[in-house]
Amino acid sequence: MIYDIRHVTTYSYESPVSFARCSLRLEPRSGDGQQLVSHSVEIRPKPAERTIRRDFFGTHTESVLIETAHRSLRIDSRSRVQVARQALARTAPSPSWESVRDVAFEASSLGPASPVGYVFASSLVPVLGPVTAYAAASFPQGQGILVSAIDLMHRIRHEFKYDPKATVISTPLREVFEKRHGVCQDFAHVMIAGLRGLGLPAAYVSGYLRTYPPAGQPRLQGADATHAWVSVWCGSEIGWIGFDPTNDLLVENDHIILAVGRDFSDVSPVDGIIVGSRKQKLAVAVDVVPVE
Amino acid sequence: MAGHAGSQDSKTRPGQRRMAQWTRDYARLPGIPDEYIGQDGAPRPAWARFFDAFAALSPADIERRFASADRHLREAGVTYRAPGETADRLWPLSHLPLIIDETDWRQLTTGIAQRAQLLEMILRDLYGEGRLVADGSVPAAAIAGSNEYLRAVCGVKPPGGRYLHLYAADVGRGPDGRWWVLSDRTQAPSGAGYALENRLVLSRAFSNLYKSMNVERVAPFFEAFRDALRASADRDEPRIGLLTPGAFNETYFEHATIARYLGFLLVEGDDLAVSGDRIHIRTVAGLKRLDVLLRRVDSNFLDPLELDASSHLGVPGLIDVLRKSGVVVANMPGSGVLEARALLGFLPNLCRRLLSEDLLMPHIATWWCGQKSAREEVLSRLDDFAIEGAYGRAVPGFPGSGPVLAGELSPPERERLRSAISDRGIDFVGQELVRLSTTPTWENGRITPRPFVLRVFAAATPNGWTILPGGFCRIADQPDARAVSMGDGARAADVWVVSDKPIAASTLLPAADTVRIRRIAGVVPSRAADNLFWLGRYLERAEATLRLIRALGTPTRDSGKGAPSGASTALHSVERIQRLLVTWGATSQASRANSAKVAAEALQSAEKFGSALSLLRSAQRTATSLRERLSPDAWQVITEMVERLSVEADDDDGIVSAAELSLQELASFAGLAQENMNRAAGWRFLEMGRRAERAINTARFARQFAYDEAGDEDLDVLLTLVDCQITYRSRYLVGPALAPVRDLAVLDPYNPRSVAFQVAALNEHIASLPSLKEHGLIERPQRLAVALQAMLTTAEAAALDVKALFALEQDLLNLADAIGLHYFPHGPNASRPEKLTGLA
Repeated sequence: MIYDIRHVTTYSYESPVSFARCSLRLEPRSGDGQQLVSHSVEIRPKPAERTIRRDFFGTHTESVLIETAHRSLRIDSRSRVQVARQALARTAPSPSWESVRDVAFEASSLGPASPVGYVFASSLVPVLGPVTAYAAASFPQGQGILVSAIDLMHRIRHEFKYDPKATVISTPLREVFEKRHGVCQDFAHVMIAGLRGLGLPAAYVSGYLRTYPPAGQPRLQGADATHAWVSVWCGSEIGWIGFDPTNDLLVENDHIILAVGRDFSDVSPVDGIIVGSRKQKLAVAVDVVPVE
Repeated sequence: MAGHAGSQDSKTRPGQRRMAQWTRDYARLPGIPDEYIGQDGAPRPAWARFFDAFAALSPADIERRFASADRHLREAGVTYRAPGETADRLWPLSHLPLIIDETDWRQLTTGIAQRAQLLEMILRDLYGEGRLVADGSVPAAAIAGSNEYLRAVCGVKPPGGRYLHLYAADVGRGPDGRWWVLSDRTQAPSGAGYALENRLVLSRAFSNLYKSMNVERVAPFFEAFRDALRASADRDEPRIGLLTPGAFNETYFEHATIARYLGFLLVEGDDLAVSGDRIHIRTVAGLKRLDVLLRRVDSNFLDPLELDASSHLGVPGLIDVLRKSGVVVANMPGSGVLEARALLGFLPNLCRRLLSEDLLMPHIATWWCGQKSAREEVLSRLDDFAIEGAYGRAVPGFPGSGPVLAGELSPPERERLRSAISDRGIDFVGQELVRLSTTPTWENGRITPRPFVLRVFAAATPNGWTILPGGFCRIADQPDARAVSMGDGARAADVWVVSDKPIAASTLLPAADTVRIRRIAGVVPSRAADNLFWLGRYLERAEATLRLIRALGTPTRDSGKGAPSGASTALHSVERIQRLLVTWGATSQASRANSAKVAAEALQSAEKFGSALSLLRSAQRTATSLRERLSPDAWQVITEMVERLSVEADDDDGIVSAAELSLQELASFAGLAQENMNRAAGWRFLEMGRRAERAINTARFARQFAYDEAGDEDLDVLLTLVDCQITYRSRYLVGPALAPVRDLAVLDPYNPRSVAFQVAALNEHIASLPSLKEHGLIERPQRLAVALQAMLTTAEAAALDVKALFALEQDLLNLADAIGLHYFPHGPNASRPEKLTGLA
């Protein structure tokens, strides 16, 4: 499956902004069953400086410096990505979760793919007793990691309410968990916190999701947003597997990976510092259109 | 252990009798080694020598010297803040030093230097090639668990060629008599500045004793450290900044001390900006390149763009500058990863592997529960260990920040701890319980043993590691010395490394270890200039308020004559003074009728923002952020004024005399600033603040008391307020007349209290400051000041009616604002960097 993705981020400021320094993580990665075909980013106003590097997690990161006064900042990212993933059967055999944990603890690499980087609390995902206890119900002694993680994902999908108005980016995990509501980012963080509490490696994935139109209706342009899900390390044989707790799905060909990190703060698509306006409005529009 | 001090003279000489008495009473704790009394029950020679000399002082002399040490600490304003507290605490100094024999010390320093070098090598590998993790010498989890493991600097070569510039180790003497390492400080070690202050105080209080003990001086260490930092930069005369979280940090006093002592600029994140591939400091002369940053801000707060996004303490883009090798940061961000206890157990092997040597100093035996065998060991005899967090101070899932002792937990809590260790062993270490040695402290005229922790400092120099001879010693008031932090009843002590031979003459020169104050670098950060400007304004406003209070309490020549001689509708002078105090927020409407009540409130109210006390407190708060630029004397004057006004005056006389004393102290502050303050350190901004405020106040006084129908009494008040009674009487034989008084207060360029005099002074300062623009046009502050000066030069007193005086006051306010906007870009009107928000 090949997708054309358009991701437009627009900031509008009440008063002129004289300076902005931004980090952009907008280029979908190659690997994990997908291949980047083409990618471009257009920024208005035109930056004084653009530098590109790969960050620790392998994400293509662009640092942008804008020195002209502006009232709006528009970042228009276009990507074409080919996705061909081999899905794992939900019932596939997998090692016991305890053995996965023990192997992860003894890893001998600090690299971005090493499970050991994803078993500890991170800035937006604390390890909390109640969340660990919640997750533990899906992990009876000796049960396979795959079936256990699927059960946890299923419970989050059905016991948490999807509510875009309930949370903002800064809503702490504790509150999301207590009130049992939130959006994709919150569900991903809850699932990650539960898994890490048990000592299991769980990463945060940002990306896009193709949305199917309801039967008989045309697809709504711009109705989509950036999506987030969880990648769980299921032992050396199986490796990292994508779980989407917002949709109770194992990740297959409808998901396009943008970046992977420990939590949202590692992968935030547009991030930065401005000097100027106190009030700002943000609009994000995402289109994910299959080309063939 | 009694009787060892007995010699043939002990019965006759009072000093030796005292000493024998102290020693007899000195009860060593059972089974715990002691610094004073050795394992054999005899005093160690260095201590014996100290107590010999100490006992020769009479009890009264000892108490007097202790009191002088305490006074010095109080006067110098040596303070710290316990975590979670908002008020500064005075520094509790133990009056006896910790004494370490030179031979013993050499062993310790060799061990510390080796350890520092080992840690540097480990950091190089962890953030570089990563061989140690790949070959299993260091478990990946023991690194990944630390939030000081900064992924953002992986593969970045540290500018300046090293990670560690300053390293510290907390050590204690173990039961075997050797020094043991309790923990490593690789992030941003604190305490060296306090060690410096402690030395200063104690060596002054006991100058002869200090001299006779052949104590190694600490100054050369600081000089070596400064020179090494200078050498790490890539140009000859580098600019070095000490990055502090700000005046509210618990060790801010120390940051200011070190900055002043070493001649570094004390900077906060807001003072710095990234421009091009370099870090710059915002100064009153524009952006100036900064070469080296000695940081007292933890790594994660250094760069909101790449690290903790919520941080306001850092510099956006700093990490990227490191990638481009544009600034040396000491210590390199990420160095703190080695503070994790999880690593302790791996150091002996790492030392053999990286240095081909055995690790010289032992550390407390530590089992990291991330490894199966260690975990099983800890779980099998849980009560024998102190359970600690593997990475930070807290034990995950348990309250408080100290170790958890399983033996002290309730059965369910104990079970919770056990299963937490079984499930996520990577988060915990078990440490052997050891009792560390005790050292004598002075309590109620006798010496008592107390456990202590010694922090030893090592600086990287081109010639290897240099160790501070001495260190920062914290003495506990409880038996477990590992819990010592300055928060809980602990005291600090000076540390004397003593030799039995006189130390080299070249270093022996001064009797006390005097501080050589260095010239501050010749740039004034905008924030410091802003604070100086406001310090000047607060002090001047306080002075004006005090003058009004004094005028209220002192009968004028014509008082008692009833209504003023002018129009009957005009207010009585006293009411005019009260009205001024009300509009300044020094007092409330309610007490207007009662002069005494008004004066008391305007002087001492803590609630009224315009009272003299509140203004002086604002001045003190502002001065706190300027500690490295003010002389200790100047600081002391401010503190004394605040302390005096915080005590309620008994009666009306008390109020007037408190106001007068405060006015005298303000004058002495002005004198100190004039005579003692380095002109390069921003003195002009203090002066400009004072001049601007005085001009505004004098113009306002003139409008209030030299209004068009003003009577004798009003004019008399004005002459008193602007301190011109004598001048006026020497010039004019008649009583006060409107035009001459106006001339004297507003236009006379020779009267140091006139508006014209202040404006001339402001003009001079502005003209001496660097211009920020290159377009050659006159800048706004100068334009306003020059115009005002021309107006005041040409004006005639007769034409200065209330309307003209009001316009003058507005012009002066505009000038003060223009100065602020021009030189202090982060003034209240400037915008601060803000985080882009939203889930994009």
